[in-house]
Amino acid sequence: MAAAVGGFGGSKKLVEIFYDVVSPYSWLGFEVLCRYRQHWSIELRFRPAFLGGIMKETGNQPPAMVPKRGEYMMKDIKRMAKYYHVPMQIPKDFFGSVIRKGSLSAMRFITAVDMTQPQFLEPVSRELWMRIWFRAAEEAGLPSALAQKLLAMTSTPEVKNRLKETTEEALKYGAFGMPAVVAHVNGEAHLFFGSDRLELLGNVIGEKWLGPVPAASKPRM
Amino acid sequence: MAAAVGGFGGSKKLVEIFYDVVSPYSWLGFEVLCRYRQHWSIELRFRPAFLGGIMKETGNQPPAMVPKRGEYMMKDIKRMAKYYHVPMQIPKDFFGSVIRKGSLSAMRFITAVDMTQPQFLEPVSRELWMRIWFRDEDITQPESILAAAEEAGLPSALAQKLLAMTSTPEVKNRLKETTEEALKYGAFGMPAVVAHVNGEAHLFFGSDRLELLGNVIGEKWLGPVPAASKPRM
Repeated sequence: MAAAVGGFGGSKKLVEIFYDVVSPYSWLGFEVLCRYRQHWSIELRFRPAFLGGIMKETGNQPPAMVPKRGEYMMKDIKRMAKYYHVPMQIPKDFFGSVIRKGSLSAMRFITAVDMTQPQFLEPVSRELWMRIWFRAAEEAGLPSALAQKLLAMTSTPEVKNRLKETTEEALKYGAFGMPAVVAHVNGEAHLFFGSDRLELLGNVIGEKWLGPVPAASKPRM
Repeated sequence: MAAAVGGFGGSKKLVEIFYDVVSPYSWLGFEVLCRYRQHWSIELRFRPAFLGGIMKETGNQPPAMVPKRGEYMMKDIKRMAKYYHVPMQIPKDFFGSVIRKGSLSAMRFITAVDMTQPQFLEPVSRELWMRIWFRDEDITQPESILAAAEEAGLPSALAQKLLAMTSTPEVKNRLKETTEEALKYGAFGMPAVVAHVNGEAHLFFGSDRLELLGNVIGEKWLGPVPAASKPRM
């Protein structure tokens, strides 16, 4: 994977975000990094991966499994989402929709989009986040027949394996949760965990943090 | 506890930091908030508490108990400390120094300082952090604690007296009470920073919620090393 991309006269730094739509903090990191494409010299690459697989492999647990931490998270997500200008609300049945149901089908669907219609990867991911973390959303502009086809793909070995491979790549970078953002600098990969390490990421890649809503980027929602 | 302090013409917002010197991220939060006393309209109140007690009560675990998370933390602490201009180094025997040996005596000593010589609270806390998280030195033995107190400028006789106080019920209870107060605010780890705004207490966990804290109290984030504050080390 190229660490530097772009032509002569200043190369963009590759920044990969490994995310799962079940993860609210991933949505925050995702939206902020999308905005920073206009401000930082980066190539942002979306890496849909399966948080359940990462938790299983590393022995980590969702933060909400510690009750007081879960309570804190409910308030923290609201405040962070407000500050980050991301329209998030806690699902009424948080444990049912987030913890129990999980996101395997959704992430396989997104993987199929990534493999065949990568131009839809960003909007489809966003719409699924909106569905879980904001409201039931309309489709992200995917023509119905195409959406059906992609849905059928989700149970194929190709798509299952691709999701597995991407998840393993996140694990190889040292991820134990999400969002896991990897910045490539001078041939070295730097892992940043959480939507609250973006200021530090900027510092490491030689860029300036302008807050979660840098001026002159229109909110995308 | 007053939520607004200061005289007529603009009240400072009370910001409390519950911390334990065994906690590296607490040191980061502590130093940054110390700097922001010159930039934000806040009254910063130090609340020495016992992280072991908070973990026990909440069922939380140190992040390093998840191996991959522990590996990440080693790198993250270094990077964050560099960015935050705090001279931190990982102890050679992390599990021994941080997880096993703990910090109860140190936090009791700091509590005694808080109760009787509060003007020394900030430097004594800092010197104990320097011992464990910069010079990889012990903070559990009486000589270690006295050495830190001396570095902080506490006269030797006074330091001895405070050390003797650490085993009294008054000091033990005070530490317990402060820890319980952190728990009542909803803390499950450290640093636990509580900002009081319009009579409401807002909990912020971690050294990475200070930008958001600023936003909630109506102040601007200027990075971890705001200009014109001299690093205190």
